[in-house]
Amino acid sequence: MRYVPTASTASMATMMLVAARLINPQREKKKMTDRIIFVCILILTGVYFWATSKIPTLEIGDPLGPKAFPRLLGIGLLIAAAMLLAEMIKARKSASADVAPTEAPDRSTYKIVAGVVVATGIYFALFEPLGYAISTTLFLLVMTSYFHKGHMLTNVLTSVLYGFVSYYAFTKWLGVNLPRGILPF
Amino acid sequence: METLNHILNGFAVSVMPINLWYTFLGVFLGTIIGVLPGIGPSAGIALLIPVTFGMNPTSALIMMCGIYYGTKYGGSTTAILIRTPGEAASVMTSIDGYEMAKKGRAGAALAVSAIGSFIAGTLGVIGLTLFAVPLSSMALKFGPAEYFTLMLFAMTAVSTLTGKSPAKGLLATLLGLMIATIGIDLQSGQARFTMGVPEFQDGVGFVVVVVGLFALAEVFRGLEDIYNGTGAKAMKITGKLWLTKEEWLRSIGPIWRGGVIGFIIGVLPGAGGTIASIMSYTTEKRLSKHPEEFGHGAIEGVAGPEAANNSDTAGAMVPLLTLGIPGGGATAVLMGAFIMYGIQPGPLLFQNRPDLVWGLINSMYIGNVMLLILNLPLIGIFVQLLKIPSGILYPLIIAISVIGAYAINGSMTDLYLILVFGVIGYVFDKVDIPVAPLVLSLVLGGMMEQSFRQAMTISGGNPKIFFGSAITITLVVMSVISILLPFILPMLKKYKEDGKDE
Repeated sequence: MRYVPTASTASMATMMLVAARLINPQREKKKMTDRIIFVCILILTGVYFWATSKIPTLEIGDPLGPKAFPRLLGIGLLIAAAMLLAEMIKARKSASADVAPTEAPDRSTYKIVAGVVVATGIYFALFEPLGYAISTTLFLLVMTSYFHKGHMLTNVLTSVLYGFVSYYAFTKWLGVNLPRGILPF
Repeated sequence: METLNHILNGFAVSVMPINLWYTFLGVFLGTIIGVLPGIGPSAGIALLIPVTFGMNPTSALIMMCGIYYGTKYGGSTTAILIRTPGEAASVMTSIDGYEMAKKGRAGAALAVSAIGSFIAGTLGVIGLTLFAVPLSSMALKFGPAEYFTLMLFAMTAVSTLTGKSPAKGLLATLLGLMIATIGIDLQSGQARFTMGVPEFQDGVGFVVVVVGLFALAEVFRGLEDIYNGTGAKAMKITGKLWLTKEEWLRSIGPIWRGGVIGFIIGVLPGAGGTIASIMSYTTEKRLSKHPEEFGHGAIEGVAGPEAANNSDTAGAMVPLLTLGIPGGGATAVLMGAFIMYGIQPGPLLFQNRPDLVWGLINSMYIGNVMLLILNLPLIGIFVQLLKIPSGILYPLIIAISVIGAYAINGSMTDLYLILVFGVIGYVFDKVDIPVAPLVLSLVLGGMMEQSFRQAMTISGGNPKIFFGSAITITLVVMSVISILLPFILPMLKKYKEDGKDE
């Protein structure tokens, strides 16, 4: 049985990008980001302690068992949270020389990265059904025609050549296993 | 005497035609990876692991190390010609190197980087040869408690020295350790944190994490730059690829000093090539009779930092080979490669596989000669690589990453994981969480837990064992200091300044 977390992974990735956008508003960028990281550490610590407590234990031979080290890491997370808090307080004290935002993050920038992530996700979803050569060629065609506009011939040639030559080279010469998909060879 | 024999045998191993070929292939790929922005040594090595599977481990490791030190040569080319470091440690070179190129001295800048890299790189390998035996015989006496505290020190040093915030560095370290706990616990046979995914029982593969965090995240950032239109064009190589007598005289001092600084920084955990080159740059600026030239094309500002970041790589090999503990992100990836070939680096390797260790170390002398040739007379060929449009290059890197990730297990889960880690790497970069500590602790995590549990078993569950010997106490104290230092230093500075005011 093979677990393919297509939908959940894609949605997780998108959510993370949305979060990245939310924690990067133009003003108070740094302060806000650190606050959100702080809250995330606390949530993660809680979840990790809970998950650790769920590990079943058979106390034979090993005096510590599989839970001890993860518990130590949980404590480490709390230390990291405390350190971050200290850094935030320190930053607030010296806030007079407020660091000017080096680059105003543009919303469309995140849209473009989200688009690339979704395109890559679709590429992976088609990877086994269509096979490596065809799905890779299609993916490269889409990406180059967006990011290297106006060079149709170069883009088509690169995509097709790379897709098929690398398939042949890796499967036949280097013995790497790549999905054949709908191709007969 | 025995050691001398091993070293000489090592030369016999490294000049075997097959190993010469893999040394060449490694440094050649390293130069390419260094020249190309968007892919660094970590991603390059990780991508090659699945492809080189089944090769003779000595040859494979010779090639991977070649990539590691080869990238430092290539990185300076991009720094000089487009003012973007092709590799993070070349960041200082992009200041004065680019200014030299603007003044028509690109040839001299490239020449001094290649020669400086060669001298310092070779100096570093000599240092590695000298330090390897005494350090590894000392490490043979280490027990689990010593190893645990040593790893603790390596991780705390890397946490606080990489990135802008020690707290975020520590967070990254802990995340790596947490990922390392996923899978079946080897001592009790219990599945931990698998979240019901059967593939996670074997743990999360480190190749997958490295490819995601380093290759894919970098591609996302690069594509974002294309979209924002912030790409830069390469300058032409101008002037002879050689130095005038005056330039040569000005460079030789910085090269030696940079070489020594780089080696020392390399041996210590945490700091790494970037800090080594910054330290060399500031040293040269302070020593210089004409500091005002720095930032406007001072050749010392290219020679010193380039030398430093090359001897740093040889220095970083010292703890990896002698103790089996890497001190940074890229050496952690190398260690991961060792382990995937079934080889545990560390003091025992010098006893059990002297042919491999010394074959590897001695191949670095040969590799540096090859790099000098590739990066001086033949540099023009590599500069052509900069003409590849990034709109094509970055999508290609995704496609290459896919082969690397899929080839390990033929598992779709691994593919989706590189995407997840790619996004994590991209987001972490935006919020200043460094990823190098995560990779280091992911590679060391299993060993760290094992030595922790072994030590506790020996002591019957008494944590006093971690304060039981002079070595462990020193390491624990150093770990605590490295965590507290970022908080103490500003206070001391303030105290001093307050004193002056009165």
